[in-house]
Amino acid sequence: MLWKDEYELGVPLIDAQHKELFKRVESFLQALRSATSWDEKIPEINKTLDFMKRYVVEHFHDEEEYQKSINYPGYKCHKQIHDDMVNYVLDVSKQYEKCNTNEPLMQQFGGRLLAWLINHVAAEDQLIAAYAKKKGVSGNDR
Amino acid sequence: MIDNLYKTFIDATRNVFNLMLHLSEISDHPGEDFKSDEGVDIAVSIVGDLEGEVIYRFPVSTSLNMVKIMSGMEFEAVDDFVTSAISEIANIISGNVLTELSASDLKCDRLPPVQRKPGEDPNKDKEYELKTSCHINTSIGEIGLEIRLNRI
Repeated sequence: MLWKDEYELGVPLIDAQHKELFKRVESFLQALRSATSWDEKIPEINKTLDFMKRYVVEHFHDEEEYQKSINYPGYKCHKQIHDDMVNYVLDVSKQYEKCNTNEPLMQQFGGRLLAWLINHVAAEDQLIAAYAKKKGVSGNDR
Repeated sequence: MIDNLYKTFIDATRNVFNLMLHLSEISDHPGEDFKSDEGVDIAVSIVGDLEGEVIYRFPVSTSLNMVKIMSGMEFEAVDDFVTSAISEIANIISGNVLTELSASDLKCDRLPPVQRKPGEDPNKDKEYELKTSCHINTSIGEIGLEIRLNRI
């Protein structure tokens, strides 16, 4: 299982969204790495890309709103990281829509997404939790 | 800070490996004779107050073990997925180093990681003011690190 309890920030809304993201990415990776033909993988690939385009934007927005609500000093920098990832997802989607037989593109996307997501939640997002805890504004009421 | 680039890179690697791969036993020693078999060499170019590149050399077994830890899945060969995941880790380590350097007023940026074939080294004859290499040892294998930078 990709998700680990140590990734929890203590903010229920954000934690629930992170768990959903990890669950979807895990399903995507299982489909991507399965021994089936590429044609059989395409439905799951399409589903994940649609989900990522929609849900990542929504989740990043909610997370950024939380950061603003606690006056997180790293907000601007964190938002830039989110924006870069959204642009990457949109760019990959565009390339994929041009030619959905591009398996190398999707394998590259899967590898980067895996490493990015783990680092982002295990490191970058934990800085928000540490700040909230230090300031006594953990946001558990959200 | 600039005189301690070696330590900055080692510390960043240690932190990333600890957080992402749960590896805590990490040691290092300087050395230029790193043998990377047919593994993954990733070059991250640095621009700004420092210019040059950092090359991460991941042998096959180390690469496969790293991706296995992250995904919980078995990988038999270094393919597009593995190379991309490993490249992102090199990118993350480099980004963390640049964040550390910015605290010392060294403003640098990095270019997207580029994969190189082991032995392929288009910049080997260039002169670098700051040049150092090391081996990083972990419980899942070794990694080679080569830092080549000039002050601008």
